[in-house]
Amino acid sequence: MSLVQSIVPFLARRPAPAAELGATVKPQHTLREAPDAWTLTVYLPGVTKENLEVTTEAGALSIVGRRVWQQPKDWTALYRETSSANFASTFEYDLSVDEEKIRAELKDGVLQVTLPKAAALQPRRIAVQ
Amino acid sequence: MHIIRYTYPTARSLAPTTAFQGRSPWAGLESEIDRLFANALGEFSEPAAGNTFPVDLYEDKANTYVRAELPGVNRDAIHVEMVEDNLSIQASRTQQAGDREEAFAFSRTLSVPENVQADKVSASYENGVLTVTLPKREEAKPKKVSIAVN
Repeated sequence: MSLVQSIVPFLARRPAPAAELGATVKPQHTLREAPDAWTLTVYLPGVTKENLEVTTEAGALSIVGRRVWQQPKDWTALYRETSSANFASTFEYDLSVDEEKIRAELKDGVLQVTLPKAAALQPRRIAVQ
Repeated sequence: MHIIRYTYPTARSLAPTTAFQGRSPWAGLESEIDRLFANALGEFSEPAAGNTFPVDLYEDKANTYVRAELPGVNRDAIHVEMVEDNLSIQASRTQQAGDREEAFAFSRTLSVPENVQADKVSASYENGVLTVTLPKREEAKPKKVSIAVN
């Protein structure tokens, strides 16, 4: 990290998500810890498997979900509470996560990401001699 | 008498100390600011607190549509009812939280336009979005009447 980046942390941050996504919203999520893994549940209503990208890079898990449904031309919106913006969010993790074993599953608009803990950090019982 | 003790930056206070161990001295401040913004802005993206869910209302010439965002709900656990001019949607979600199961119930009642054929209402659930189609009554549909001009 250069000196400038260490003084102005903003410069060291990852670039913003691609501009073609337009404005994005952060999806609602919950994170749970179990002895062997963390489970991240992300709510992505209206997102299908084909329109979801889950990537890991340099200790960050990024989730980009595009909404499939488009308002048909002859439909008039009378009242709206949801937004048409795509979902994008980034979750950072440290070395305690076994990056190779991250699994993700999408069902009915709910994404479950399992982040197993690295074997070295899992609780272990030590046999006393 | 000074109530506040002024401290001036000295060469010693400005010199890099071993306390940060190579970490940026601003790192803590940065995450603190991120957290403050996340707290302040996070609420915009999240649905309203409580057991409700966001809905949209659309119409075209033949139907009125209600779209509700209900991610992760079982199809069997969705109950859609029309009571007079009110559409009520009830749903529940169960999810595994470690070794136990958590259940969430959602319900919402909306008043819909009067001209709905209540017996022909249909609903579909796909990718976590519930779409209810409420057909309009014949007399409410726009009619095209051609008038002969003499």
